[in-house]
Amino acid sequence: MNSRFFSSLALRNIQANRQLYIPYVLASVAVIAMFHLMASLLTNEFVRTRAASLTMMFEFGTVVIAIFAFIFILYTNSFLIKRRKKEIGLYGILGLEKRHVAKVLLFEMLYTGLVSLGAGMLTGFVFGRLFFLLLNYMMNLPVQLDYSTTGVTALMTAGLSVSVFLLAFLYNISQFTFAKPVKLLKGSNEGEREPKGSVVLFVLSLAFLAAGYGISLSMDDPLSALTYFFTAVLAVIIGTYLLFVSGSIFILKALKRNSRFYYRPAAFISVSGMLYRMKQNAVGLANICILSTMVMITVSTTMTVFVGTEEILENQLPYENNWTVYGAELTPEELTESFMSFQDRVRETAAEMGLEVTGSEAYRFQSFAGEISGGQFEPRRDIRGSGDLPLFLQVIPVADYNRLIGASVSLAPDEALFYHSDESFSAEELTFGGTTYRLSPADPASVTEDSQGITETAMLVVPDLLHIRRISEAYYADVEHEVMAGIDAHVAWNTDGTQEEKKAYAEAVESLKAGYPTSNYRSRIAVTEEWYSMNGGFLFLGVFLGLLFTIGTVLITYFKQVSEGYDDRGKFQIMQKVGLDRDMIRDSTRSQLVWMFLLPIAVAVIHVLFAYPIVRKMLLLFGITSDRTWLLSFATVVVAFSVIYFMIYRMTSKVYYGIVR
Amino acid sequence: MALLEIRKLEKVYTARFSSQKTTALANIDFSVEGGQFVAIMGESGSGKTTLLNIISTLDDATSGEVYLGGKPLSSIRDKEMSAFRRSTLGFVFQDFNLLDNFSIRDNILLPLVLSRTPVDELEKRLLPIAENLGIADLLDKYPYEVSGGQKQRTAVARALITEPKLILADEPTGALDSKSSRNLMETLKDINSQGQTILMVTHSVRAASFADRVLFIRDGAVYHEIYRGAESPDDFTDRISQSLTVLSGGGGRRE
Ligand SMILES: Nc1ncnc2c1ncn2[C@@H]1O[C@H](COP(=O)(O)OP(=O)(O)OP(=O)(O)O)[C@@H](O)[C@H]1O
Ligand SMILES: [Mg+2]
Repeated sequence: MNSRFFSSLALRNIQANRQLYIPYVLASVAVIAMFHLMASLLTNEFVRTRAASLTMMFEFGTVVIAIFAFIFILYTNSFLIKRRKKEIGLYGILGLEKRHVAKVLLFEMLYTGLVSLGAGMLTGFVFGRLFFLLLNYMMNLPVQLDYSTTGVTALMTAGLSVSVFLLAFLYNISQFTFAKPVKLLKGSNEGEREPKGSVVLFVLSLAFLAAGYGISLSMDDPLSALTYFFTAVLAVIIGTYLLFVSGSIFILKALKRNSRFYYRPAAFISVSGMLYRMKQNAVGLANICILSTMVMITVSTTMTVFVGTEEILENQLPYENNWTVYGAELTPEELTESFMSFQDRVRETAAEMGLEVTGSEAYRFQSFAGEISGGQFEPRRDIRGSGDLPLFLQVIPVADYNRLIGASVSLAPDEALFYHSDESFSAEELTFGGTTYRLSPADPASVTEDSQGITETAMLVVPDLLHIRRISEAYYADVEHEVMAGIDAHVAWNTDGTQEEKKAYAEAVESLKAGYPTSNYRSRIAVTEEWYSMNGGFLFLGVFLGLLFTIGTVLITYFKQVSEGYDDRGKFQIMQKVGLDRDMIRDSTRSQLVWMFLLPIAVAVIHVLFAYPIVRKMLLLFGITSDRTWLLSFATVVVAFSVIYFMIYRMTSKVYYGIVR
Repeated sequence: MALLEIRKLEKVYTARFSSQKTTALANIDFSVEGGQFVAIMGESGSGKTTLLNIISTLDDATSGEVYLGGKPLSSIRDKEMSAFRRSTLGFVFQDFNLLDNFSIRDNILLPLVLSRTPVDELEKRLLPIAENLGIADLLDKYPYEVSGGQKQRTAVARALITEPKLILADEPTGALDSKSSRNLMETLKDINSQGQTILMVTHSVRAASFADRVLFIRDGAVYHEIYRGAESPDDFTDRISQSLTVLSGGGGRRE
């Protein structure tokens, strides 16, 4: 008997068991492709050059996927080989030696392994190329990302596949070498037994989860968050497998004990079926849970960065165009001259380009930090010393106040308008820079500084620029070692027009700046573009990984349903002989919904919630500080993913139903 | 009117990958009165299982018709078929058809659960039958943990538990020793005397002697039949043996 014989026997076996092997190979292909893509990203230009921590993150990611691939393929193999015990046991009884059986198994593993590896790499490559093209086109970021992969990547993928399939082969050999033929003959029928010490497993699972969650909760700076993220992820993955293995079996047994629940057609069929292959069921649910968690974390984080950045830009630059003149070296007259002429030029430029200014604010101002005590505004002596922030008082002339809100207030030399963000100061008079002003309330609509409820702000409207000058001189006479600031002017405005017109307009305004040496111009378009050319790659990768993991979830769910469908088909046929009808089959398929659908998603949502603290720390690197943004993104992602997963579930259930019917 | 009428039943199997045809049933024609206990005998491959499968609606006839209570089975709509099987028929399969994901208890209870029987009723019905068939101690085991004969008795219990009008049993004693066989036959006889109709395929003369009537099938047709008169069980057993001898040109199997 030569190798040709064993090889053709192996091929015939795979052919005969194609109902088992097709889903198995497809799922292996998917997992290997996923690993290959992840490993390819390590060679990506952006990942390598943007930041050291990014490379580190992707190395983590690759290791996590590798671990997932190991667990997934090994477990799937063990369930598959269990179904074939009888067949392979027969070889022994019919006279094939053990080492010959081993040879057949080796060839089988060789074929499935090679096909999975080849197809996996090819799928990964095609998927990567295609989706990079597609995403570049759809996201239209200022920088394009290129898909790249090297021989090293291929070697890594091959190494992973060879070791995983080798381990699977060794496992299979051990199954057949040490078991008695009779045991093998019955092996295919026997139900799975509850793992030993499931209470211990359960406690262990809680310990691992607590460790993972604990790391997340205790991180206090972005860098240690990056460092420990990996450990936390590993702990949670292990905890999840243990939790599902011990927990789901525990729940199923409790359901079975409740005879009023158990002895109803749908529950009777589905609970007994799940108990029969309790480990397979548990590992399948854990796989789905882990992939769902990955999807939700990547997508919600990506979305937070995106939405958060837009919000930050919006907050920092409420207008599309922002121009500030620093007046420290100008006289008030020079400043006013610049202020007025610039506004005219802005309008002229717009008109030349066929655009119109649609909204604007313009004012001259000076800010002072200090505090109000005893009806007097005083500089704060120890700005750096005490913890709480000083009061920022913005002083503007009444002419600009009138223009901001369209009023026509006139002030006597000892009169002023006053606004305070928390209204704690309500005296009639305020002394500042040697002048005591009689106060009337200012219209809050005129307040340009957005305090966001964090810092205390106040505004004082005085008769003219000379008052501000006087106040400033008195203020800086009091404060030593500080460079005297001057009166600044701020002009901000929007225009109509398309994105391209706005961009051209911003460039035109930029060139105006030459006439105003101490000024600064920022257009939102330019700032946004700069941000995206720095960080757009993160968004790209986030979207890419989100897609990848979603597709992974679809395939793994599909695999679970199909392989279980073929497993259950015989049972359903027998039950139909005893009087099971189609409606009941549908009911029992549906009653697995709670398991297949709710359990993995619920646990995944808890994981994501606990991941938030550590993810939040990492988001600080992007300047994202708003919890609200994350909560919104998270809620959106959970709802959207649940809907998608529900559809996946419905579709794959139909496949299952089609198989067992 | 007869409970079961079988008219000109024909069944031709066409092989899956060739046009070769096997005629399993040629022209079967007989009727069974309500409350009768009928044994069907015949050589292996003569079409007995095929006949039972058609009567139990598990398979379709090529031509001919089966009437149950005067109603043609082919008129039962697909939707009612399952309910019909659950409520009217009890089937003991030649190869048991037990489910490995259910314990012996749950295997027996399956048809009752499918008919949505209240939980309290389940145990009440289960215990007497299990005790009668000597499997009360095995209820919590799984099919792959019990012997062939124990599986067979489980299959019988599953068929009896719904107290069906018509019991179809395909070699219910095939895997049993003579003592258990006798036990099972007495149980069936008991059930029969309470009014349930039984149609039983058997190769055992001893088992057939419990019936009121024995049909002999050869080459897919009823070849011969005998009724038990007022004769003693032993005499009836002898008569069945003789018929078998004639039927096959050899000796019938005696236990
Ligand atoms: N599904 C099938 N396809 C093709 N031929 C079949 C099929 N089932 C049975 N046959 C053939 O029909 C004939 C009758 O088979 P059947 O199972 O009814 O025999 P039987 O009388 O029950 O035999 P035994 O006593 O061995 O159980 C046999 O020749 C068998 O080969
Ligand atoms: Mg038969």
